[in-house]
Amino acid sequence: MLIGNYKESYAADEALFRTPAVRAWMGVLAVALVVFPFLAGDYLLYLANLVGVLAIAALGLNILTGFTGQISLGHAAFMGVGAYTTAFLAARLGLPFWIAVPAGGAGACLAGMVVGVPSLRIKGLYLAIATLAAQVVAEWVFTNWTAVTGGIRGLNVPAARLLGFPFDTDRRIYFFIVGLAALHATFASNLFRTRIGRAFIAVRDRDLSAELMGVNLFRTKILSFMISSYYAGIAGGLWVYFTKVVTPENFPLSLSIQFLAMVIVGGLGSVKGTLYGAVFVTLVPEVLKAGTQSLRPLFPEAMSWLYPLRDILFGAMIVGFLVFEPHGLAEMWNRTKRFFALWPFEK
Amino acid sequence: MRTHRTTKLFAAALAAAALAPAALAEEEIRIGACQPITGRFAFAGVNINAGLQDYLSWANEQGLVKGKKLTYIYEDSGYDTDKAVATFKKIMAQYSPVIMYGESTGLGKAIAPELNSRYKVLYASASFSSELADPKTHPYSFVSGPTYSDMFGILLDYIARNPKGKGKPRVAFFYSDTEFGKDPIAHAKKRAAELGVEVVAEIVTKVGAVDVTTEVLTLKKAQPDFVIFQGYVLAPIPEVIRGARDHGLATTFMGTFWSVDKSIIDKLGQDAEGYMGVNPYAYYYEDAPGIVAMRKYNERVHPGEKYRPNSYIQGWFTGMVYVEAIRRVVAAGKPVTGDNLKDALGTIQDWDTGGVTGKVNFVNNKAGVGRVYRANVQKGVFEPASDWIYVK
Repeated sequence: MLIGNYKESYAADEALFRTPAVRAWMGVLAVALVVFPFLAGDYLLYLANLVGVLAIAALGLNILTGFTGQISLGHAAFMGVGAYTTAFLAARLGLPFWIAVPAGGAGACLAGMVVGVPSLRIKGLYLAIATLAAQVVAEWVFTNWTAVTGGIRGLNVPAARLLGFPFDTDRRIYFFIVGLAALHATFASNLFRTRIGRAFIAVRDRDLSAELMGVNLFRTKILSFMISSYYAGIAGGLWVYFTKVVTPENFPLSLSIQFLAMVIVGGLGSVKGTLYGAVFVTLVPEVLKAGTQSLRPLFPEAMSWLYPLRDILFGAMIVGFLVFEPHGLAEMWNRTKRFFALWPFEK
Repeated sequence: MRTHRTTKLFAAALAAAALAPAALAEEEIRIGACQPITGRFAFAGVNINAGLQDYLSWANEQGLVKGKKLTYIYEDSGYDTDKAVATFKKIMAQYSPVIMYGESTGLGKAIAPELNSRYKVLYASASFSSELADPKTHPYSFVSGPTYSDMFGILLDYIARNPKGKGKPRVAFFYSDTEFGKDPIAHAKKRAAELGVEVVAEIVTKVGAVDVTTEVLTLKKAQPDFVIFQGYVLAPIPEVIRGARDHGLATTFMGTFWSVDKSIIDKLGQDAEGYMGVNPYAYYYEDAPGIVAMRKYNERVHPGEKYRPNSYIQGWFTGMVYVEAIRRVVAAGKPVTGDNLKDALGTIQDWDTGGVTGKVNFVNNKAGVGRVYRANVQKGVFEPASDWIYVK
């Protein structure tokens, strides 16, 4: 039983993973992530990759919405900007992925900077509507700027290659996706231990007080938009190499809303919560589907209403979260841990 | 001694157990499907699924593929490309079928690289996109009917042969700004020029846009003889037709596959008078032998179903193509694999479908055939306005 957590050096105080138990579990997780692709089949690998890509984008949204308090309904648009930048560079100019993916991040980052400008004047729901405009404009551009985006047919992208080695299967690209997801999650965790990250939180909690304390509101909000969109852009770039094709229909408003759902279900203002949220929102519908699928032998004629039941159930689960645990999966996990910290003794 | 015999028996049992699935697998031909049973395409997905499933059970009953049983495995894919790809991979991993069915153009494009390099199964989908009928980029996939470009070709052919008054026929294209809407337009313009049909207006809108005042005014100014809709299922077609009638336009309105179901006549009411469209398949109430067989099967197995929409017939016809390809592979004494099925598809020429559609010729992974129909409001049905029209 853990009764205290004493630190004897600054290094220990600054460590990201503070207790031996946490370090051990992170080690287990790392090993599991490396072993997973060799054990999992096509289907699970595909889902894992999807979760990885969406998690990176959702991390970006949590930085903006969860940590800086700026609501965005245009996150899918930034992912689209990143995806198209990457796809254009890779398919039309033939640049390698290690240039195209960061360039996707940079492209989205610039778009985020522009879209973030109104955030100085408007907040809350008004800002949400302003970002919604970005979503609509981006979708229009994807569809109509045919010379660059390939119009409605989109762009086909060749597999990523490193030193002649192709990342053409789900198993190969998995390492690429999980590696970048881990990197970006670590970066996000560390961000909120820096002055900039603290400034984000200060702006979220009370922007006037933050300004009185010397936080430059405009700079901070724009920076948050930029970092957030950069994450989305990287996710978009990875997504392109993962699916090998990009069309305007891949980044609809519903995807933006799905990102918000991930962040809310996972826990606003929590990095690990975002990861839980991405897993939950992507996998639970699949699990529910498998459930309804298993009922098929019993009701062979009833599938046309059993399948929609899954969506209703999923919706009910999200409402349940908001009512019973507004702080999301991250907080549920923390409570579970606190319970077991003293178990089997009681408080 | 006794132990020895037991071991032998045990070994034999093991061998039998190991062989049994192999023997079964030879008998069974698996067909997988990612069907949009939920999501915004569910209105069609449910019917396509029913049509495909019913045809395959019917084919089993009739023993169309001798000595083999067709097994149909479907899952809901929700009309969401990511989910559909996951479903595709799940079915492939779990059942390794030799034929797959997919929900959308998006899935066809997303799965193409792996379909061509790894899975190598025969693939058809709910999409009529001309992109998926390109044998160079999509060798394993086919469009079970004409592409949207072909449908425009059929309508333009009809217009060129049945002009209104003198001079070049004047036609307007009215389409949505989606992949579905824009797909055939470039080809249609080229084809119109070849046929001597003048394209006097092109109108692009969002799907379901209800305020079409400006679009109707554009039509009034352009005075087209014919307007062809593409990329909509219903809205804003009724609004446009009503608006045009209010302005006294005598234009004939036409639609492609998704907007010529019988239900559109119910929705349009009196305004449906004179509405035309191209359908690759016959309607459920027609009396072609293939359709009669379909109705008989439904009366027996689903007595509650009095009418089946076009999407059901689309699913049924896709099943017919699958089975025909399988029969040809089996008749040639080859193993039923995706590669052999794909090659067999190309040999389907002058194939009689019992009037479910015209004579089928698979060229460039599609069957370029369809018929022009006209709405009869009194009877509430579409009636043929032409014979089967063939395009390349």
